[in-house]
Amino acid sequence: MMRTHGARRLAAAFILVTLLWGGVFPRLMRWGPLARHIELMDRREVNVAAMYYTELERLPLRPLWFEQRVLLWPDGRAGMASSSGRE
Amino acid sequence: MSDSARSRLFVAEDTAASLIGLVILVLALAVTWQARPGEQADSRQLFPKGWPTPLAATIDRPQAWSDAPLQSFRDKKGFSIVGPILLGMGWVVLVGAAGARLGGATLRRFLPGGIALAGLGGVAWFLAAQTLIHAFNLEYPLWALAIGLLIGNTVGVPRWLASALNGEFLIKTGLVIFGAEVLVSRLLELGLPGLMTSWLVTPVVLVASYWAGVHILRIPSRSLCMVVSADMSVCGVSAAIATAAACRAKKEELSLAIGLSLFFTVIMMVAMPPFIAWSGMDPIVGGAWLGGTIDATGAVVAAGESLGPEAGQVAATVKMIQNSMIGLIAFAVAVYWTGWVDRTGHASPGSLGAEVWRRFPRFILGFLFASLACSWLFSSGPAQALWVDGAITGFTSRLRGWLFCVGFVCMGLQTNFRELAPALVSGRPLLLYVGGQLLNLVLTLAMASLTFGWLFRKVVEP
Repeated sequence: MMRTHGARRLAAAFILVTLLWGGVFPRLMRWGPLARHIELMDRREVNVAAMYYTELERLPLRPLWFEQRVLLWPDGRAGMASSSGRE
Repeated sequence: MSDSARSRLFVAEDTAASLIGLVILVLALAVTWQARPGEQADSRQLFPKGWPTPLAATIDRPQAWSDAPLQSFRDKKGFSIVGPILLGMGWVVLVGAAGARLGGATLRRFLPGGIALAGLGGVAWFLAAQTLIHAFNLEYPLWALAIGLLIGNTVGVPRWLASALNGEFLIKTGLVIFGAEVLVSRLLELGLPGLMTSWLVTPVVLVASYWAGVHILRIPSRSLCMVVSADMSVCGVSAAIATAAACRAKKEELSLAIGLSLFFTVIMMVAMPPFIAWSGMDPIVGGAWLGGTIDATGAVVAAGESLGPEAGQVAATVKMIQNSMIGLIAFAVAVYWTGWVDRTGHASPGSLGAEVWRRFPRFILGFLFASLACSWLFSSGPAQALWVDGAITGFTSRLRGWLFCVGFVCMGLQTNFRELAPALVSGRPLLLYVGGQLLNLVLTLAMASLTFGWLFRKVVEP
């Protein structure tokens, strides 16, 4: 009896997930502000779901403009980072 | 089970996780070295994510899809990735089987459940890959936990599946592999202002919120206070996983911390950029503020990029420096827990070192070893940096994601809704998170303004 009840609840959850992922979310993502956010992230190649920096589409590397505007190391050791990107 | 027997079991599982994790890292580095490029091997421009590795073809996960679910099984160029996804599941089954074998279980008992769990992990990836979900940082751990919770709390876990549930082992192995991504050398990327913003504020917020959780909010579980404080002050889910393993938090506590972190990450990702733009804050200071406060890395970059590319780059790099604190924090938490919080009553006062060593979670040593070895290799030269980056981004990071994902499915299957209820109803973990995050916001803004906005600011304007 308990098992049948549980199976019904699991089936209901499966139907809900199918409706949400198959119908509601695809429609919702076309709504103005959401669509603009998604389009911007696509254009900038941002993996919003990245849990750690290694999962980003581009590894964050220090750009040249940043070195020109910010004093990185007071004693002039600006070049000591081994992987800085020059953009 | 007696305490000593349980302790032996922990050591065995931790040792197995460390061994398997380190073997995988050596394999990834060796294969990437064998396939190293013949020319311009030290060119970051040519290989922005490191040297390509042949192992990348053996593992992938469902890609972002909008309204046609089958898009998920094709890469950006339109090629099918069904094979690499199945092989990714195969890697998880292989790691799980090795762990089961080292733990004394038979493969015949493990394999049916192991394959089913890998399949459920694939479903979690698929749900997380829907574009709307993906664009708001609702990461795969949430769906993996939800799938496990749903099955475990409706139809229950059949015996054939229960015999393959080794989520803790998968997560520990994933953490050892994850050590290779925690590159201490990357700390130098943003110089002193970045270090001050990330490394001064983060420990202060972590310790202050843990203390407030234990002494002011009087949350009964210290491990819950620690996991919530770490995921809020360091870097979200990944920090929660590492500290939960280091202080042996309950599955329910880790699930709750992850839920809180993902919920507030979405709110902060959406609300902070308009506030920064409205206040007229400098994009560099704004980016540093985002990087130091929003939990999840992807959400930090998304929020930064919505302010502009400058803010996006600074935010990502500050977050990266904060990311690299995980190793040190996990180690410190493990020492503190084994030495002070979780200390057995019969230990003599003079035996603190021995007690810490006896109960120390060994896989943390594997994690630290991987981190230090890869950091050393990474800082040896530009070619070595590309070697490490290639092995990580092409293989180990993906495998770590799969191991965590299936580990979370296992955790969900073993979690009872009812055990989550008291913590949820009291609302105190929520108060802890909100209070700690407010402190984090204020201190990080002050430090970012001080360092990036004034102390280390050059006079050159763009």
